[in-house]
Amino acid sequence: MKGRSFIGVDVGGTFTDVVLGDSDGDVFVAKVPTTPADPRSGIERGLREVLAASGASPARVGRLVHGTTRATNVILERKGARTAFVATAGFGDMLELGREARVEADRYDLLFEKPAPPVEPALTFELDERIDARGRVVRAPAPDAVEALVRRVAAAAPEAVAICLLHAFANPTHEQLVAAALRDALPDRFVVASSEAWPEIREYERALTTVMCASVGPEMSAYLAGLESTVRALGIPCPIEVMDSSGGVLSASLAARLPIHTVESGGAAGVVAAGMIGELEGERAVISFDMGGTTAKAGVVRGGRPDVTHGFHVGGIASLAGRKGGHGFPVRIPVVDIAEIGAGGGSIAWVDAGGALRVGPQSAGAEPGPACYGRGGTEPTVTDANLVLGYLNPEALAGGVCLSPQRSAAALERAVAGPLGLSLEDAARGVHEIANINMAASIRVVTVQRGIDPRDFSLVAFGGAGPMHIARLAQSFSIPRTIVPWSAGVASAMGLLSADLSVDHVRTQLMDEADADGHAIEEIFAELESRGVAALAGEGARNRLAFSRRVDVQYKGQAFPLTVEIADTASGPELVATLAESFRRRYHDSYGIDLSLPTQFVNFRVRTTHVVDKLVLRPAEPGNSEPPEPAAERPAYFAERGGSVATPVYAWAELVPGQRLAGPAIIEGPDTTVVVPPGCEAAIDRWRSVNLTSAAPAT
Amino acid sequence: MTQSTASIDDAITREIVKSALAVAAEEASIVVVRSAYSAFIQEGADACAAILDARAQLVAQSDATSLMHGASLRACLPALLEDIEPGDMSPGDVFVMNDPYRGGIHANDLVVFRPIFGAGEPVYFAGTLIHVADLGGAYPAGLAALATDTFSEGMTVPPVRLYAKGVPEDAIMRLLAANSRTPEMVLGDVRALVAGVNVMAARVGELIEQHGVATLQRFVDASLDYTEARMRDEIRRLPAGTYHGSFRIDSDGLDLERSYDVRVAVTVSDGSVCVDLAGTSGQARGAINASLSQALSGVVYAVRCFVDPTIPMNEGCFRAIEAKFPLGSLVNPRPPAACGGRIVAVCGTTEAIIEALSHAAPERAVAQSAIIHVYALSGAENGVPWLSMSYDFGGLGARAVSDGPDATGCFFLGGRSVIPQHEPMEARFPLRVLRSRLLPDSGGAGRFRGGRGTETAVLLLGDAELTVRGDRIALPPAGRDGGQPGRPGGYAVERADGRLELLADKQSKIALRAGDVFVMRTSGGGGLGEPWERDPDRVLADVCAGSVSRDAAEIVYGVVLGAGGDVVDSDATARRRAAGRRGRG
Repeated sequence: MKGRSFIGVDVGGTFTDVVLGDSDGDVFVAKVPTTPADPRSGIERGLREVLAASGASPARVGRLVHGTTRATNVILERKGARTAFVATAGFGDMLELGREARVEADRYDLLFEKPAPPVEPALTFELDERIDARGRVVRAPAPDAVEALVRRVAAAAPEAVAICLLHAFANPTHEQLVAAALRDALPDRFVVASSEAWPEIREYERALTTVMCASVGPEMSAYLAGLESTVRALGIPCPIEVMDSSGGVLSASLAARLPIHTVESGGAAGVVAAGMIGELEGERAVISFDMGGTTAKAGVVRGGRPDVTHGFHVGGIASLAGRKGGHGFPVRIPVVDIAEIGAGGGSIAWVDAGGALRVGPQSAGAEPGPACYGRGGTEPTVTDANLVLGYLNPEALAGGVCLSPQRSAAALERAVAGPLGLSLEDAARGVHEIANINMAASIRVVTVQRGIDPRDFSLVAFGGAGPMHIARLAQSFSIPRTIVPWSAGVASAMGLLSADLSVDHVRTQLMDEADADGHAIEEIFAELESRGVAALAGEGARNRLAFSRRVDVQYKGQAFPLTVEIADTASGPELVATLAESFRRRYHDSYGIDLSLPTQFVNFRVRTTHVVDKLVLRPAEPGNSEPPEPAAERPAYFAERGGSVATPVYAWAELVPGQRLAGPAIIEGPDTTVVVPPGCEAAIDRWRSVNLTSAAPAT
Repeated sequence: MTQSTASIDDAITREIVKSALAVAAEEASIVVVRSAYSAFIQEGADACAAILDARAQLVAQSDATSLMHGASLRACLPALLEDIEPGDMSPGDVFVMNDPYRGGIHANDLVVFRPIFGAGEPVYFAGTLIHVADLGGAYPAGLAALATDTFSEGMTVPPVRLYAKGVPEDAIMRLLAANSRTPEMVLGDVRALVAGVNVMAARVGELIEQHGVATLQRFVDASLDYTEARMRDEIRRLPAGTYHGSFRIDSDGLDLERSYDVRVAVTVSDGSVCVDLAGTSGQARGAINASLSQALSGVVYAVRCFVDPTIPMNEGCFRAIEAKFPLGSLVNPRPPAACGGRIVAVCGTTEAIIEALSHAAPERAVAQSAIIHVYALSGAENGVPWLSMSYDFGGLGARAVSDGPDATGCFFLGGRSVIPQHEPMEARFPLRVLRSRLLPDSGGAGRFRGGRGTETAVLLLGDAELTVRGDRIALPPAGRDGGQPGRPGGYAVERADGRLELLADKQSKIALRAGDVFVMRTSGGGGLGEPWERDPDRVLADVCAGSVSRDAAEIVYGVVLGAGGDVVDSDATARRRAAGRRGRG
């Protein structure tokens, strides 16, 4: 691969980040505005810029990985394809019935509305057929019933069709029959069956996964096809790869076929990036913290791999308890476990009816933005508070906008300081710290609530706003080390370059431990692995494929299984015993409870990974360890100092490995600002990262 | 300036404490739900974790929790403190109880407390509650629909020590196990409850260490006072006065000819609400009585529905509400009246209060709603016993400004996420679900339509015993302001030989054979306003979506559709509605 370069393209809500790493380990960055109507023009511009900056030849680009929030946005904005839904007779109302949960305020709201079903009732079709839980055919569909169904679906002229028949996870033949007939009749329509999308037990989530897949299908396949031609036109020959929701990478063709797997592509890239940075820094256990304009996202990487959940809700609300069950659309596909909370730079501060200061979840967004942008925003935001506190430089912000502290002060005075009888400074500090409390909740969700002690982790912080808050957050969890990478502004795009190609397959088969046959389990794994090999066929040599086997195990009769990993060397009766034993240990670790009850195996999972060549970064030249010279000085507020104090401001670009500085200090990077509070020390390492450590326990 | 800095310090610390307590309760509930054995703990429905202070004030409770459970913990703690002096408690002690006459709900809802120590004495209590797998009684799993006293509902547990200084009291554990049909499962559930209180004890312990007992209590008090102030401010927005409401319950299941009434007089005065249930029927012989904590939860819930829904749920909400429950009535029975089916009386109470307060705030008026319909199937397959408990909801009542949501009633409960899915049921039990669907025309007609009820049909693949418990079947949810009642649901069995047997709204021990089909229909919600005033376009949308049949559109709503059924025939509709008005005039 010598001489090849690697490109990562991350399209966010505001900016499109393109990162090119060459074979010398040098990295070039282009940050261009996202073009929401057609993101490809932004991508094209970014690619041109980065190729020009690096002088790399397009023909020598060996890999191009794309992170996209397109599928999520289509779902959130309910702009998906007009989708038809085919169900087993008697169950067509499944989506309209729904499975919402009414929690918190919803529970006391007499005017609450159920979320609208993702498929309009008139586009739901039933087929008289039945398979039982063990996969046996109870009633095969009559051929003329299938024909009639196809005619009715065709007459409704949907743009996409989702098929979910009962127990198709155990026997997909009826779904295959219907899918084939529909594809014959509607060759230009996107048709997907639940046994293709995600064949796992629980009909509601499987149906929704399939419907979501169908509804983003036409858009995503057209988008990826168009991107392919854009990239070819630039002379880049390599196939496009897309980050999936679980932190692996899919070929664009597979992503176009099963686009539901890209639903959390953008979010996953951030956690993968944190893992990569942790790896460079010698940390295998990191918490990623990404704070942008409207939300903060936390994730966990253990053993170098992001934690994954099977309980993701597309468009679910985030709050203290993380992603709420019963909100949004639950999908069962593996998704990086991310807690997202409505706390970002644009979150609006307000005083509630009881006189309490609140921050968010309403956000000023990019338009009109915080009051200090002077673009019509009048409500005070977290960014306004940070400006008043002196953390942000009024003269420089990404995008070249000049910030107006006067506007921030006026907004804070009117909406916070005045009503609460506070000084401006105290009001700003209150907003900053309450935002911290809200953000801490997102970290708690993915750590403490999962039985993980955050003190055993390092924190990797990025996103435009994150590094301004991160030292305080680390203090509140007693996290010893915080890393702000040099690439903090483009971390997700960097993360794209560190992922391997991978696919996940699942099979539900309920099996009691007592009558489980180790050889039968091996056969299930072998079948899932052969599907993994087939999916990654053409991606390279068999010897670069790795398999990871997991099983969902529960005590018989329980509703919530735990997922345990099992080595592919275990076989026969030993396999069964090892599985049960790992589960009991995991159960004890999770809940501190030992039970002597029989266990049951539910889902068998295989992740097939194709290990690819990746960018190898080059460390910066070691510099002197002289204390750095501040580039400037400005007043900044630190509670420990009883108010605003003259604070040295350093230019990150001028800091070299080995240099250390003590808080209070501010470090300004190209598109992020690191606040180093008193009692905290910052050290620059050979990756140019800022390392924050607490000099003494926080007071 | 210094004063202002102190006040922002306080505001920040108060937020930190509030958030930490909420998170601790949430974390505990996750541990309980995930590790609990009981099959009824689906998606956190029948589980609760809460933090209370030494005065038994509810400080924080887990999010997904129904107020019924939080209110029970709040009512149980004084009983515990009455029996076991705080001075006799040690760190690491855990207590267990379930007595419905001392704050509990019914035998199967087991409550666990752990005192949290500060400065040498218990200053907070961590409490958890779940519906455990089985704790004896005449019927498995506590669904004793026809019980006549607490003894037939299961084993009553007074407040007793379960762990002494971190060591399990073997005698109590063995007693619980010996009284359960599923001893291992019950012990698993108890361990889950203990794991939950341990989590909260650890988190609150950290807070005590960090802030000190006095300071922490100051912040806790401030947060309860804040809630109380918000409640009172909101109540002041309701017009003062006394409002009346009532609700009629089908039967107690034993005497099908006799209905029961819940009556309320709700007095709104300056910043407080008093709910007097005088005139409510005497306690029932059947299990539909609500123990005191449960009736109170219904009162507080219903009042909360008429204030800002974002007010946090803690003691501050209880302070602004006074409730009077006549002794010996459905809502404050004398022991040993059975209480397992209390949802019937609790929801009757909420409906009566919603009706009363709908007079005070007509813009928030709601017609009557349906309720949860429960069915349990049990049997043995190859000698191994099995038990499947499932449910569905009826429609909610229409609101003054919108239709009632389908199949989510009553208001008190938490939404459809608690209903077991069909594939896992079929994988575990010898049954096959034939259909599960919304019923057209089941929502009460009105200017705004009641939510639809459902139909579920289950084919038995082996012999089984059936228990059902529903309500609002003989007396379907009433309409309001000219709206029509919802269509009543019901239970039936289609025998394999073709006979159809209708069942009562509460019935136990019905023998089913393989090949029989059990059919359950939930009731629709009541409509609000005259059906002939409903916007014809809404009626058209209902017909297109299958909510209302074309016949009903014409006969009930007076809306005539064009030949294709996809447009309103405005002229024909106007004529029909005018003729109808003359006919009725």
